[in-house]
Amino acid sequence: MLTIHELRAAVDGREILKGLDLEVGPGEIHAIMGPNGSGKSTLSYVLSGRDGYEVTGGQVLFDGEDLLAMAPEERAQRGIFLAFQYPVELPGVNNTSFLKASLNAIRAGRGEPPLDAVSFMRLMRDRLKVLHLDDTLLKRDVNAGFSGGEKKRNEIFQMALLEPRLAILDETDSGLDIDALRVVADGVNALRCQTRSMIIVTHYQRLLDYIKPDHVHVLANGRIIRSGGKELALELEAKGYGWITGEEAAA
Amino acid sequence: MNATVGALESWLPARGARSSDPAWLADERHRGLAEARRQGLPTQRHEAWRYTGLKPLLEKGFKAVSEVAATITEGEIESVLVPGLDSYRILMINGCYQPALSVTDHPRAGMRIESLRHLVQHEPEIVRGLLAQAAEPDARLFTALNTAAIDDGLVVLVDPDVAVDRPIELIHLSTGIDEPRVAQPRHLVVLGDGARVSLIERYVGIRGALYCTNSVAEVILGQGAHLVHHRIQAESPVAFHLSSLFVRQRAASGYHGVNIGFGSAWARTDLVARFDGPDARCDFEGLYLAGDGQLIDYHLEVDHRIPQCTSREHFKGLLYGRGRAVFDGRVHVARDAQKTDAQMSNHNLLLSPNAEVDAKPQLEIYADDVKCSHGTTIGQIDPERLFYLRSRGIPADQARRILCLGFAGEILDRLEPAALREHVAEQVGAQLERTFAAS
Repeated sequence: MLTIHELRAAVDGREILKGLDLEVGPGEIHAIMGPNGSGKSTLSYVLSGRDGYEVTGGQVLFDGEDLLAMAPEERAQRGIFLAFQYPVELPGVNNTSFLKASLNAIRAGRGEPPLDAVSFMRLMRDRLKVLHLDDTLLKRDVNAGFSGGEKKRNEIFQMALLEPRLAILDETDSGLDIDALRVVADGVNALRCQTRSMIIVTHYQRLLDYIKPDHVHVLANGRIIRSGGKELALELEAKGYGWITGEEAAA
Repeated sequence: MNATVGALESWLPARGARSSDPAWLADERHRGLAEARRQGLPTQRHEAWRYTGLKPLLEKGFKAVSEVAATITEGEIESVLVPGLDSYRILMINGCYQPALSVTDHPRAGMRIESLRHLVQHEPEIVRGLLAQAAEPDARLFTALNTAAIDDGLVVLVDPDVAVDRPIELIHLSTGIDEPRVAQPRHLVVLGDGARVSLIERYVGIRGALYCTNSVAEVILGQGAHLVHHRIQAESPVAFHLSSLFVRQRAASGYHGVNIGFGSAWARTDLVARFDGPDARCDFEGLYLAGDGQLIDYHLEVDHRIPQCTSREHFKGLLYGRGRAVFDGRVHVARDAQKTDAQMSNHNLLLSPNAEVDAKPQLEIYADDVKCSHGTTIGQIDPERLFYLRSRGIPADQARRILCLGFAGEILDRLEPAALREHVAEQVGAQLERTFAAS
């Protein structure tokens, strides 16, 4: 589904990703772990098409098509979703109308007609129920004045509504207490399915106590230096990143 | 000295005063004319006209509206109504009150909604001592010119403690007639002590019509009276619009004005409030949009000359294409006006490199125990917000429009009732859609 080959990317002329390879199949959950500054967020932004990230080499194929040639909205319409590390506040923009604009844009991209108001509200209520969220969220402006936990829950709610084929969760666990973490993880688990792949970017192992990945990768200095199963995450937790990055430097 | 107002002499009505006009009104007109001629035309060396040149206005050679009957169809009238708005509705066409097209039946006891011309002809004593009292023509040429031409307009008189049940809606419709004409409506709103009124003032034009409006409104609020005043400037895209509002407030009265300006090629609005008693509050809020070929200028002046009054000036602007706007807000706090609470803010979004706004907030404070602040920002659409929307599948142009409407929403949300709010929000949205479609 997603093939990243020898990806190189720079920010302000400084190379951050230095030849990254990753293959994600349908329904798979990949955790990408790494120390601060290893390029984790850069990878998330390059995949979702944010300005200011210059791809200097390599390629990314999504369903065999050149993902990097697409505008951010086109990527979203194809089924890519980024859950932001720091969800952006949109004061004055009502959450419900935002979600409706988003869902209908994605439906338009798929050649589907827009949902009428009744079907849309029914879908929203259904998704709220799946995630055990209450509907006060819908009446507020997008993320404006939300607590850290509310913002992350709103991201997961959008994901539930938009039904992406590839979700990228960028440090979704950062800044969350253990209860909020559990709510978010439960939401993600509820959305797991055969056709939906996920890339979970995280610094700490603890999120992986709740979301069990199929594959774990260690990203350091702009490349994936080690891949394994979920036991790799536990080993990292016990030994720290120095264990593996030091090994790499020594090799 | 043979003073004239130059090219603007043609704004004065050709006809002489009606023989039935009371002498005091003729005197007011003469005073207005003398004041206009004394001042002459301001240039951009005058501080109040520093950013707004009169040249485009003078070049059009507007002449005073005559009694030419406007040809207007029912469809055209229908097209300027706000769907679902339940109001006392007064229609003026090219400066003339149209009783046959107005809906003011079954008014609540203790209120009057009248044509100024009608009152002057039949019951002049009612407006004597009220008309032309709040307006300040000195240093305001267009108010002086309007006074020199006082003829027709809306008069609202509300007795003490009467709460008017529905909004009073004035629609000033301009059609463009035989040649470029200027209409100078003159409105008077007087609320007795404790009265409560909601007033909607809308300026609209037949699309493509070239004309000028120079309106003056005087508002006098009794003790504890409260006026909510929505003013929508949606003139024809090639029209010229001048409007001056003078508010006088007795103790504990409240004035809440929401000004939305997005029509006309060239617009200048002056909002002036003076407190005559303590514990009064005045809010001027506003939203302006200007694109290619548009200039929108708001000048605000709040005079705290009495202690313990509160004022808010809160305006937002959206500028795109080669649009230009001016925001000049002035708050004056006199030496004795202790415990004044005055806040002013002006926030602007510039959507193109060629758009321009001149923002000039001024606080002049001569008292020492006051709470006053002002803030001005001029910015662009936040790229992080734009990316967030695009990452959710929303195309860039639609995302920009959503962000602009979010920015404008804070002011649009103030409009009441919902029918008016939705109507104006739709017009603003449509204007933004055209803008982004064209870019």
